[in-house]
Amino acid sequence: MNPFPMVWADIRALRWTALAIVVLVALAVAIGVAIGAQERALRRSSAAAAEDFDLLIGAPGSQTQLLMSAIYLQPDAIPLIDGRLLNTLAKDERVAALAPIAFGDVSRGYSIIGTTANFAGRWGRVQPSEGRLFAREGEAVLGADVLYKLGETIAPSHGVFGHAAKPGQVDEEEAGHRHEGHGYVAVGRLPRLGSPWDRAILVPIESVWEIHGLGNGHATEDVIGLPFDGQKIPGVPALVVKPRSVAGAYQLRAQYRQGGTMAFFPAEVLVTLYRALGDVRNVLVVASVLNAVLILAAVLLLLVAVAGLRRRRYAVLRALGAPRAYVLLVVWLGMALLIGVGCLTGLAVGALFTSAVSGLVEAQTGLRLAFALGSQEILMVLLLFAIGSAISLLPALMSYRAPVVAGLRE
Amino acid sequence: MPVSALPDGLPEAAAKTLHLHGVTLDHRGGDGRPFRVLDIPDLTISAGARIGLRGPSGSGKTSLLHLVAGLLVPDAGTVAWDGKSVSALPVSARDRWRRETIGFVFQDFHLIPELDVAANITLPATFSAWRIDRAHHERAAALAERMGLGDLRRKARVLSRGEQQRVAIARAVLNRPALILADEPTASLDAAHAAEVGSLLVEVAAEAGATLICASHDAALLARMNDVVEIGTVTNKSLALAS
Repeated sequence: MNPFPMVWADIRALRWTALAIVVLVALAVAIGVAIGAQERALRRSSAAAAEDFDLLIGAPGSQTQLLMSAIYLQPDAIPLIDGRLLNTLAKDERVAALAPIAFGDVSRGYSIIGTTANFAGRWGRVQPSEGRLFAREGEAVLGADVLYKLGETIAPSHGVFGHAAKPGQVDEEEAGHRHEGHGYVAVGRLPRLGSPWDRAILVPIESVWEIHGLGNGHATEDVIGLPFDGQKIPGVPALVVKPRSVAGAYQLRAQYRQGGTMAFFPAEVLVTLYRALGDVRNVLVVASVLNAVLILAAVLLLLVAVAGLRRRRYAVLRALGAPRAYVLLVVWLGMALLIGVGCLTGLAVGALFTSAVSGLVEAQTGLRLAFALGSQEILMVLLLFAIGSAISLLPALMSYRAPVVAGLRE
Repeated sequence: MPVSALPDGLPEAAAKTLHLHGVTLDHRGGDGRPFRVLDIPDLTISAGARIGLRGPSGSGKTSLLHLVAGLLVPDAGTVAWDGKSVSALPVSARDRWRRETIGFVFQDFHLIPELDVAANITLPATFSAWRIDRAHHERAAALAERMGLGDLRRKARVLSRGEQQRVAIARAVLNRPALILADEPTASLDAAHAAEVGSLLVEVAAEAGATLICASHDAALLARMNDVVEIGTVTNKSLALAS
């Protein structure tokens, strides 16, 4: 038997009802997919952004605040730690590499980050896509999304606490707090990292100190990078440490958790944040499951109503010689097809919605969130399809068992 | 056109003979009480006969057609075709028997409006096969031509009422049924179309050598039958009807 001609005819006959079923199911799927995929994308992207930050050291305070400022470049007022710690750590055998991170200045809304050339190249992991890394004071290397051209002069301004600059735009706050007489020349551009650092301008830490009248941390001019041999080494908001070993990492963390410093692995703070994010996700998942249950209930009611409306149509098929199984398949396949189309549409809408939200998150934070369908979402969609198909059996069985003569007399 | 009394009990199996023996059928009224709709001691209709069923509304014409088609099972008695009891068959076997033996024409055509003419005519072929074979397509085309239906790709919903009933007749005879049941086939048509459709129905049944049982109030159509049974007078009478 081939029920598909009747399946298509049924769908065409009640096309608006069919559309409503597809839309309802798509909505249930899209919400579930969007929640799961968004949360996963946020975890992955935020974890990837923190990849080169093995151990962060800063002044005692909020670890989350330091993490958000140093890794995700969310501006905040961070207390400084003694700059001499740079040299102490540089001599520490447990430290493979070390870099200061200083922030606070902006240009055209882009954060200017003072650090070392070594860390700008992510400990040698990243090569500039254009030009080169900075080699002297007054030079800058651009993040992938910074709309400056190589060779252009970058005018820094003092960032204002509590004011969120918009990348690419010079606003009144920035124009009013210009560091007059100072500038950087863009000499290179980094490849895309998928993190807020794509919107940062990286400059030698010495330039940042000099602009703020703190000297350059060296005994002579025109020297950049470790070691800092000046009589006075200015303070910095954060230090990134790349330990030689796991054991060394834990020892360093323990050692610098006291004595006027705070040390932590960004990963452990992220885990705490993810736990909170997971709790929020769980609440949203419960809400989306309830939503799916309501939608399936609505779909079931629609299906039962539709099957009732078609009693005479199916009775005619039986009178013409169609077996009961044919009628069951016509009803069930039609419904299952609509639910299947709803599931696929929901996946597409969920992906679009996730992409749209990812775009907003990226515009806000610079964090690039890549949509990826996980096994949980696929399982959820398959489960929804299975349940939807199963409940479609109810109207199908109603039609299967419906008395033919009563249907013909309707 | 002999109409004669038969003795009690089933006769010797005659090829393609329809035989109702001791059939009663009760329905329930609005008050829940059963009332007798049909009481047929014996009715035999020979192969190729054209039999009209006449009677007032509610007399049981449609119920008799449903009994013959195996859509209803009598409360007592036997409906037999070709010497075999149809009413004793399980549902699936009755479905198959109906599919292979009967062509049904309804008062309201009951086409599938979303399907085109060709798909409506060949619809019964999809009940038992995944693909409609070439022979069915060719027969559908020939029937459509015989019915003067023209373009087979027109959707059923755009056809006139007369055209719709002609498609319904073509659908009913697609599988070359031995028995055609027509329930008020001209009642929904104007006089001109009724005459045309009535003629086609009788002609197609005759060409196929099929037995035609037609419930109708249409005097012109009933006049083309070999015999007309007054439903209501069937009760307590035994009849044998032949072409």
